[in-house]
Amino acid sequence: MKHKIIWVLLLVIWSLSPLSWQLYTSFCTQEAITHPLTNPGPHWTLNNYRQVLTASPPLWDYLFNSLLLGLTTTLLTLVFAIPASYALSKLKPLLARTTKIILISAALFPYVLLFLALLEFARNFNLGNNLFALSIPYSALSMPLAILLITSAFKDLPKDLEEAARIEGLGIWQRLRWVLIPLIAPATASTSILIFLFSWNEYPIALTWISKPELLTLPVAIARIAGSSIYSVPYGAYAAATVLGSIPLLIMVLIFQKQIISGLTKGAVKG
Amino acid sequence: MSLTLENIGRRINKNWIIKGLNLHVAKGECLALLGPSGCGKSSTLRLIAGLDKPDEGTIKINHKDVTNISPVNRRIGMVFQSYALYPHLNVADNLSLGLRIRGVPVSEQKKRVNNALGLMQIESLFKRFPSELSGGQRQRVALARAILRDPKVYLLDEPMSNLDAQLREELRPELRNLILKGGQPVVYVTHDQHEAMAMANRIAVLKNGRLEQIGTPENLYAKPSSIFVASFIGRPQMNIFPDKSGLIKAIRPEDLKFSNNGLKCNLVHKEWLGSSQLLLLDSQNGLLRLLCGSEESIPEEIYINWSSEKEHYFDSNTGKRIDKSRQ
Repeated sequence: MKHKIIWVLLLVIWSLSPLSWQLYTSFCTQEAITHPLTNPGPHWTLNNYRQVLTASPPLWDYLFNSLLLGLTTTLLTLVFAIPASYALSKLKPLLARTTKIILISAALFPYVLLFLALLEFARNFNLGNNLFALSIPYSALSMPLAILLITSAFKDLPKDLEEAARIEGLGIWQRLRWVLIPLIAPATASTSILIFLFSWNEYPIALTWISKPELLTLPVAIARIAGSSIYSVPYGAYAAATVLGSIPLLIMVLIFQKQIISGLTKGAVKG
Repeated sequence: MSLTLENIGRRINKNWIIKGLNLHVAKGECLALLGPSGCGKSSTLRLIAGLDKPDEGTIKINHKDVTNISPVNRRIGMVFQSYALYPHLNVADNLSLGLRIRGVPVSEQKKRVNNALGLMQIESLFKRFPSELSGGQRQRVALARAILRDPKVYLLDEPMSNLDAQLREELRPELRNLILKGGQPVVYVTHDQHEAMAMANRIAVLKNGRLEQIGTPENLYAKPSSIFVASFIGRPQMNIFPDKSGLIKAIRPEDLKFSNNGLKCNLVHKEWLGSSQLLLLDSQNGLLRLLCGSEESIPEEIYINWSSEKEHYFDSNTGKRIDKSRQ
């Protein structure tokens, strides 16, 4: 028991220390960061936050961009993943297993390798500098995992329920709308969060597809803050932007932590 | 209103799980499909409902071929063994979902749902969720849902197997009255011969996907067509005497009587059942079951005898009944 507590404590420190360091840095003056021991001036400041929020464009805009992109990506993924998963859950075992293996390989593929091809794609179809267009590769990349998770949710439903609905006269879309989709809601929620997280954190594709400053997503915008001056790295502002950027995620994870964990373990056991 | 199955066959890979099945259920009739697990009774029900398609034969409802009609349009009222209530909807929504989908106006939906709730005596439960109901209450909701389908045929798949014995006894007459009142044919799947006899006008005994015998409960009891039916219908089980020259003799436990001479037996075990008692006797013909009134005194030296009219004979190769007139 005692050992367990020590291990848990170590793990908490291990995972929280970078975050707390970031939080601490975001409230420090530039001098306090660079010369922590010999700094004669004030130590604490809100200037970093003031700076990122009053910059042009302000950080709020990037937060909004990322939020919009995340929601669009999630919605677009679910619109295709739910019917696909339903179909996959009805396939004959051999075909279902083959499809699953293909999907798992797709989910495991290092997507960074695709980004040059995606860039060509964006250029040819004129998809650059458009957040809605950016959600297309995002949802395509999220699709394999989403389909795997939602398929296992469909498979876990008792067969009787759908059969009862069929006998009651519900057609396929009505069964999905009134019976099946409501019943897989927990799995849909955890899948949505995973998709949203991916879209929120994605960097290389966003970097290459978006160049207009007012359309940047958070990760790219934050990286730009870090590289905004050639003389020094504005650690404080950088930290403040990171802290602000993680608040929406924190709120979301706090609300949906149960679903996230059940979704993750479900994928692990039944995939 | 009627239901007819003509030469129905269903195959999984190369195995025929149902073969050459012919059944006819008339208006207002309750037919029980009885048999051990794996005999094809539930599969037959699924074919009638349209959840599976037969590989051969036709299914007719009211003399109209429905073999290729989807269950969505077949108008079947079905009660599942698991009840299959929608867990995310309360009782009222469970009952009105089908009506809403079929475009019944809201005021009419309410009226019909209230009516069905009243019929099943569960008015007070309309706001509860399935997880908040007892087994008996769930069963009533499932039945109400089947009634609201306004079906042409009722299919009941082991509707009472998840209920305790007392509740079953209570529900039986109620269920019978309710579903038979509408005049629709009813197919009732069960593995419990007692329930089949209590509920059905006729019983179809299935074995390995083939119809073994069909008839009234009295008929099956008095004249089982095979050794399988003989041992499946009636509890305690029939006594089966060993094979003599290709002939199996069987006799029901209640037809064995104490007498002054006859087969000598030793008492092995006695079960007192209230209105009757069941004796397990050891004889030169093996173990025998004897059922007699609970007041009857058991002699010290047991000799048993029976009237030869009560004997049933079966062919020991085919298991089929041999009528005494043909002996």
